[in-house]
Amino acid sequence: MDPKLTLTFLKPGLQTTIQDKGRLGYQYLGIPIGGALDQKSAKMANFLVSNDKNEPVFEITLTGPEILFDSDALIAITGANFEVYSDGVLIDNNKAHYLTSGSIISFGKLKAGSRAYLAVAGKWNVQKWKNSASPLLQSPEATADSFIKKGSKISIDSHYLNKTESWDKNKTPPVLSTKIRVRVKPGPDFENISRMTIAEFFSQGHIISSDSNRMGYRLESKLAKAEERDELISSGIIPGTIQLTQSGQAIILLNDAQTTGGYPRIANIEEDDLDSVAQLKPGDEIWFSLV
Amino acid sequence: MMDIIEYGDSALLINFEQKIDLEINKLVNAYFKAINKLDYILYQIPAYCSLTVRYDKSKTSYHDLKSKIEEIEIDQLNLNEKSNLIEIPVCYDLSFGVDLESLSNELGLSINELVKLHTSQEYYVFMMGFLPGFPYLGKLPEKLKCKRKDTPRKRVDKGSVAIAGSQTGIYPINAPGGWQIIGRTPIEIFDASKEEGILLNMGDKVKFKSIGQEEYKELVQHGS
Repeated sequence: MDPKLTLTFLKPGLQTTIQDKGRLGYQYLGIPIGGALDQKSAKMANFLVSNDKNEPVFEITLTGPEILFDSDALIAITGANFEVYSDGVLIDNNKAHYLTSGSIISFGKLKAGSRAYLAVAGKWNVQKWKNSASPLLQSPEATADSFIKKGSKISIDSHYLNKTESWDKNKTPPVLSTKIRVRVKPGPDFENISRMTIAEFFSQGHIISSDSNRMGYRLESKLAKAEERDELISSGIIPGTIQLTQSGQAIILLNDAQTTGGYPRIANIEEDDLDSVAQLKPGDEIWFSLV
Repeated sequence: MMDIIEYGDSALLINFEQKIDLEINKLVNAYFKAINKLDYILYQIPAYCSLTVRYDKSKTSYHDLKSKIEEIEIDQLNLNEKSNLIEIPVCYDLSFGVDLESLSNELGLSINELVKLHTSQEYYVFMMGFLPGFPYLGKLPEKLKCKRKDTPRKRVDKGSVAIAGSQTGIYPINAPGGWQIIGRTPIEIFDASKEEGILLNMGDKVKFKSIGQEEYKELVQHGS
């Protein structure tokens, strides 16, 4: 039998959630995709501890938690670069670490990026709804354990191999910069958006507004107002869709966004660049390149 | 008749004639079902007159998938498949239908006439969206067509039945919303504690039935 490991959150951090690949396939019911925003880092964390790539991980945002491990464990932290301590000793990102029973992992200063991923080797005993442990923002009771609070306890059947492989060097960790450029394709409504708005969209960097979350990032720049027109007939939205509100504000839609919307879609960020977008914080800057 | 375009680098969008129309929407549903049988589809988002198809770009490409979709032949018979008819009890009391009075003035109808019209016909579920389990139902009788609220409410109670434009819908959970609220159902149309917790699906038909407060209370107490 696998040894039982229980993690107790002595401090929850600002926004710590349990995430996996999300609820792919249920969007026809209006269910958001959810899942880790930086999928590559989440998979890398699981890889480092030899877990299945779709095992849940903790997504840790801006301020990290403090966690007590009641048994031996194998962990890895990827994504945003926090100062992470194991019983007060600084440990490296992007590496597997063995912890002994009673260890406390604590997060200090955030040095780069915005979201870190913590994988723990083993099978997680967490509630799932429609094949995912990710929180359903609009209905938290679907997976009640997945929003971490002070005192939350997560149980894991802690099995791990004695050796871990190193992450495939071809797969680089995401860019952790306060200013990034991403590739976009023209959105479905590109042709109906004024040339002026499009020129403004591509000719400047856009600051991520503080009114941003896992549903979407609002951009602070005000673009030339979209023409007065009737609202479009609601149509599908996918992570990376950039829509333009009537007041000229652009919003990058992310995994927890609603599945349909009626605002014009100016552009779509390429899938592979979304992991880097997920590492932006309010105040950081994003540029768009049309490909 | 339909236009297939790239939607980002890992999805495509099928645009049908851009209007809210039952025949067009049935075509969307037929394509949704046919495309579900193709390989490498991660998920789809059927809407009124469009279909978003997200695929695994490591396994297939926009051009391959586009040509597979173009080969699909939709059987006219399947378009008229019988739909499930679901009856939904609604209490149109003023305490629930908080916009009934202002709407009655705006539309020049008495509240009784308004309720009669809303319960007079079957509605078709055109799409699900906005919230998990939120059905977009249509079309409303001409006389009930109305605008959204100028300022959306920060919170609309779960179970609220509302109208806007030529559509009607049911709020599956407490959520912000801008539609005109005319009543409330005691039925749980979304229950996250159950794996199959979503009552309605695109293509279903809905008929509203007016109930009194007593019956509403009973249905809430006994579960539904």
